[in-house]
Parts: sequence; C-alpha cells; structure tokens
Amino acid sequence: MKRDQGCHQTDHDVSRRAFLATGAAAGMLGLTAPATAQVLKKKQKRVLQLYLQGGVSQLESWDPKPGTKHGGPFRAIPTSVPGMHISELLPHTAQRMHLLSVVRSINLKTNSHHDGRLFMEMGRRSGEFPYVGSVASRYLTPENAPLPGYLHITTRGLTDNTNAFLDARHAQMKLAGPQVPNNLVRPDSLTADAARRSSDLLKRLNTRFSGRGGRKAFTDSYNASFEMAEKLMARRDLFEGDASPKDLARYGKHPFGRNCILAKTLLENGATVVKVTHHGYDTHAENFNFHLEQLGEFDKTFCMLLDDLHVSGMLDSTLVMIMSEFGRTPKINVRYGRDHWGTAWSIALGGQGLVPGAIIGATNKEGTAVSKREVDGGHLFHTYFQALGLDSSSNHELGGRVVPIGDPAKTPIKELLA
Amino acid sequence: MSASPPPPSLPRSLPAPIDVTKTHVVREFKSGDVPLTTCRIDPTGQFVVAGAEDFTIYRWSLDSLEPTKTELHGHNSWVRSFDFSPDGKWLYSGGYDDRIGIWPLQEPRPSPARMLVAHDGWVRWIRTSPDGRLLASCGNDNLLKVWDTETWKLVREFRGHERYPYAVVFHPDGKRLASFDLMGSLREWDLSTGKTTRQWEAKFMWGFDKKFRADMGGARDLQFSPDGKYLAVAGLTEVTNAFAGTHKPLVLLVEWKTGQFLRKFRGDTRGAAWGIRFHPDGFLVGSGAPSGALWFWKPDSDKAFHKLPLSGGGRAIDLTPDGRQAAVAQIDRKLVIVQFTAKTS
Repeated sequence: MKRDQGCHQTDHDVSRRAFLATGAAAGMLGLTAPATAQVLKKKQKRVLQLYLQGGVSQLESWDPKPGTKHGGPFRAIPTSVPGMHISELLPHTAQRMHLLSVVRSINLKTNSHHDGRLFMEMGRRSGEFPYVGSVASRYLTPENAPLPGYLHITTRGLTDNTNAFLDARHAQMKLAGPQVPNNLVRPDSLTADAARRSSDLLKRLNTRFSGRGGRKAFTDSYNASFEMAEKLMARRDLFEGDASPKDLARYGKHPFGRNCILAKTLLENGATVVKVTHHGYDTHAENFNFHLEQLGEFDKTFCMLLDDLHVSGMLDSTLVMIMSEFGRTPKINVRYGRDHWGTAWSIALGGQGLVPGAIIGATNKEGTAVSKREVDGGHLFHTYFQALGLDSSSNHELGGRVVPIGDPAKTPIKELLA
Repeated sequence: MSASPPPPSLPRSLPAPIDVTKTHVVREFKSGDVPLTTCRIDPTGQFVVAGAEDFTIYRWSLDSLEPTKTELHGHNSWVRSFDFSPDGKWLYSGGYDDRIGIWPLQEPRPSPARMLVAHDGWVRWIRTSPDGRLLASCGNDNLLKVWDTETWKLVREFRGHERYPYAVVFHPDGKRLASFDLMGSLREWDLSTGKTTRQWEAKFMWGFDKKFRADMGGARDLQFSPDGKYLAVAGLTEVTNAFAGTHKPLVLLVEWKTGQFLRKFRGDTRGAAWGIRFHPDGFLVGSGAPSGALWFWKPDSDKAFHKLPLSGGGRAIDLTPDGRQAAVAQIDRKLVIVQFTAKTS
C-alpha cells in the first residue's frame, strides 16, 4: 500500500485574509427584518455538513473489519438496520442508522488533505469550483433569508475559497463557536444613524468604483461581506446567553457540543447551509486512543442534533452529511497510527431526498481496496444536489458564461436517491 | 585418624557474569503476521507469552531448545497486559474487549477457564497482588477494580481518576496500589478503604496538542522495585505533535516513601518508553518504540549508561527470574530474548 504519512503545514494554515475579512465585515451595522422561522422550516431545504477534519478512519467508523489483519482493536456492533454493522465507537449512531445510509466505496485516488478536501467539496479533482455549501447557498437560500447562506462553525481555519466564481454572498462565513462573533457590537461612540449613513456611503463609493472600471469582484465581495455581517448582527440574539441546561446535558458542554447546539439554532432560524467541523482525526500516531476520544465526543452529540432535526420534522428537508477529506490506511503503522488513505473509505449521509438505511458499495476483506460500486467525490456531489432537488447536470449561468454544476463525466448514485 | 571429606566438585564452567554492555540477542520467536503488543515471562521462567494485533496470545516454552509455539484464543480484541499467579499455574490477560482472561498456563493447549467482563471499555492493565489472592485492573471506565482470584468476585472499586488510568500495580507490601493516568496523575490508594492516600501530578509526562485539541500521555509500564522503595513509570514527554507521534521517551523514578521524583530517565530517540524493569543488580532496563532500543540506567544518573538497538520497536520488556535474560515484544512481529552477558561458546 502506498500511503502518505505526513501533513503539510499549509494544510492547517489559517486563512488570514478570510479571517480578517470576516472580522472586519462583522464590524458594520444594519438591521434586516428576519423572515419567520416557521415558514422557512416548511419550505426551505437545508444542508448540515459534519466535517471530521483530518480524515476519520473508516475502520473505526462506517466500515469496521474486526479480526482481520488491519482491523484494529475495536469491534463491530449491530445497528437499527438489520444486517448493518458499524464500529462500537458509535453506539448512539448505531441506533439511528435507519435514518442514515453509508457509502463504503469511495476512491479519491489522492492521499493529500488539500486535494481530498477539494474533491469532496467541489466534486471535481481539480480546478476552481464552488464548494457544496456555496452551491447549496446559491440555489437554496431565499432572497430574503434572515441569515447568511453558508455558515461554517470551526475552531480552526483552513485556506478555502469556497464560492469560486459564485457571488461572494455564497462564500462560507466562519463562526468560531457559539459566542457573539467579534466586532458585532456597534461601538457606543457610533450612533445607529451615523452607522447607517456610513454604510450607505460605502455602498455608493463601491458603486462609483465599479462604474469607473474598478474590479467589480472586489466591490461585490466587500458588499457581500457587509451584507452577511448585517444579517448576523440582526440576529445577534442567536449568540447571546448560554445554551439551555437541557441542551447542554444532552449535547455536552465541550466545544463540539456547543457548536452543534448553535448549528441546530441556526438551522431552526433560517440558515441554509451549516457546516460544523470536528477536528482531530489526523491520527498518524495513537489512532485508536484518539478515535476513542474523538468519536466518543462526536457520537452522542451528533445524535442529539439528528434527533432534534428528526423530531421537529426538519430532517426530511435537511441533507445531512458526515464526511472527511479521506479515510485512513488499513495498515497500522509503528506508532499505532493510521496514515492518509483516499483509496477505499466511507461516509454517512441521510435526510432530504435520500434512501435511509442503505449500504452503498463495499471494500475487500482487509479493507485495502474497493470491491464493489466504486465512487468518488464527483458522484457524491451529484448525489447531494439531486437529493436536494437540483439538476446537477445543468449549468451555473454566469452572465453569458455557463459552467456545469456537477462534473459532466460523473453521475449521481441513483440507488441512494429517494 | 579419619580421612577428610573430598572437596566439593567444581562446575566445569561458571555462568558468564552479568555485563549489560555485552547484552545480545540469544533467541527470536516469530509470532504471526502482525506486530506484538506486550509480553511477560511467567514466575517459574518456563514460558514467555505475548499479545498480538491479531487478538492471539502466543506462548513459547523457554526451557526447550526448539521454539514450541502455542496459540491461545479467547479474546476478540488486543491484549495489552498480562500477569500470573505466583506459582505460574495461571495466566491472566487484560484485553481491549473489556475482559480479563483466566488461563491454565501449564496446559498443553490452554483455553480460557473464564473470560471475565471487567470494565466498561478497554481493560488497560492488570496486576496480581504479591500473595496472588487479588488481581487489580484498570479500564476505560476510569475505574480501578480489585478481584478475588479464587472466586473472581469484585472486591473493591476505586474511583478518582478523571481520565483513563493506563496502569495499576500493587505495592510489594500488598496494602497499597499505585496508578497512573492519561493526564500524568499518579495516585496511591489504600487497598482497605479504596481511598486515594497520596496524589502527584507528573505533567511533564502529558501534553495537550493545541492544534488538534487532544491529550497525549499515560503510563506504558508501571513497576515497583522488589523492596518497594521505588516506583518506575515508563511513558513519554515533550509532546509537540501528538497526532504525528512527536514526543520523547521518559521513565520517571519515584522514591515512594517521600514521593520525590528522583530521576527522569531519558531515551535518545523519538517515541515512548514502553517497558521498564528493576534488575536485581541495581540498574533499570527499559524498552522503547517505535525506534527499537533497550536503555540501561543507574539510579544515580538521568542518562543511560548503555543502549542496545533492537530490530523493531520494543513495546514491552520482562526479566527471567534469574535476571540473566529478558524478553522484548517487538513491532516487527518478533519476540526476542536478550542476555545481559557476553556471548558464550
């Protein structure tokens, strides 16, 4: 097996520009009347991405191989779907697999964090294309949406140009957690009227700049940032105060628990795409101890979020994806670690437009290769948008230019579509 | 006048004296197709046993010239810890399948007399009491437990560790336990009350990886000196990247009466110290992985006075009863026997 044992520093760098843009944009003021959450709940389709950053091990999650050469120490347990087994590290999820499906046959043909992430997000192996979240934001976010279309809750930054050629309004807006975003509060020295006049002036200047041949992308980007900040500021209440004791008891008081409570709140209040990143799966050493810790934290918290979506009826209109940039090597290295492995790994997904309880594809006995129904990021990308009711074989219309939404060479996993 | 008795006969050759600088490999046993996880030598010196990543326990006879290997099947996960009854009749195994295996070691093909569900989560460590009547275990439920080795009933639970206890051991006086957890917390427990009597924080044997938000630490071996004066904790230090395994081996030597941290024995490779033993001649020997090495330390210096490279990382070490040899469980699937003497013809 050829494997990539190392990570490159750039894979983990914070995007300084993205960070500053978000922070600065959040400093502006404005008020936008929120649409009623109840109406949105009924009509809006949403996306919830749980991103297990670093590459969760398929052998310790969705495709366990206990008792095989590379199977590791964990056992497989039965799930609520007869015949389906997943790792014992996901006991709560196992009881809810009738709401989810598993794809066990992903081959990205890359072991790079960067390339794997782009392929899984863009549906293309290379090029500059918008992420799943940006495309969903572009086509699913109502014009009068009360919140930015694509919100990403993460405690660490990654260098991502998520919207590519789409309008900057559909770029991810990063939130560091449930606390009020930085600079969201208007300084006391600035009156509301002065802030509004300042904002209007900025927009007029931007319009003039564009009219005189300035790069429209720049002004669009700044305007979009201010617009997103304005929406967040109008819903500052979503970030104020602690979560309820009941939710904290259910989800957990750790950062991931609080982030998932925020994700629920945002989805309930009109967000279109919410991505929550759970860090700590790049386990080149002590893979088993770290998966014990990380999935131990993920399992119950994720299930509380899934339950809340299910009980409220929102799961039927929310596409839920649990994904990574790749899986981990079957071979256990000398540090009890598993390395990068994009060759044969798994994700789980469910909700809007998908058949629940299905197992798509398979790997061989020792998990070293896909043995059935091989798919990649392109197939998955089509599947997500077909499930959301969007024709992924159609085009983005970009002012006279057209770009296929999904890779024309790939098709959706039809047996997964409801 | 009666004749004086004849002088006693002299052995044809005296055994070579212990000289660790001449330590060399005398035997190699091959397990299966996967790395080994741990090993122990039984108190009679007849057998060496090893755990492996294929869930099998391998037993080799040390008193035969031919490598007689026996496979013991019963666990359905990895075994990370062994101990024995003092007479060597029983083997105990602690598994990541939450169970303790109880095996009649002397049987030609041992099968488990019992598989005891001991913890909610991995059994990380087991140790027999000096009199053999009790067995201590620790596991992923953050508990220490003490079992009656006759009835296998639970005698007492010990609560206090807030993160995984990695190892537990009886003090040679049989009245106290010592345990060490993921966060570098070392505790002494009163066996009769179940209470913590002393506690130390060896934070230098733990690290928090800020980037990945993860804790790394814990004891890979825990051993009292036979006289009970010292405790040695094998583990790691200087964690700079937990997920890449960037840290260094360290063995902490604690003077038990005063609780003073006497020595921080260091290995000269990356990785962790996975095994430590007090040798009857007064030195300590430790094994390290993933870079395979044996280090030899004297109690008066942090620096090893000798090092023996191994062909594979040493995940555990144990001494023969006479102290002349040691078994090392290696990542390269070998169980090697080293001898602390010069080579003999």
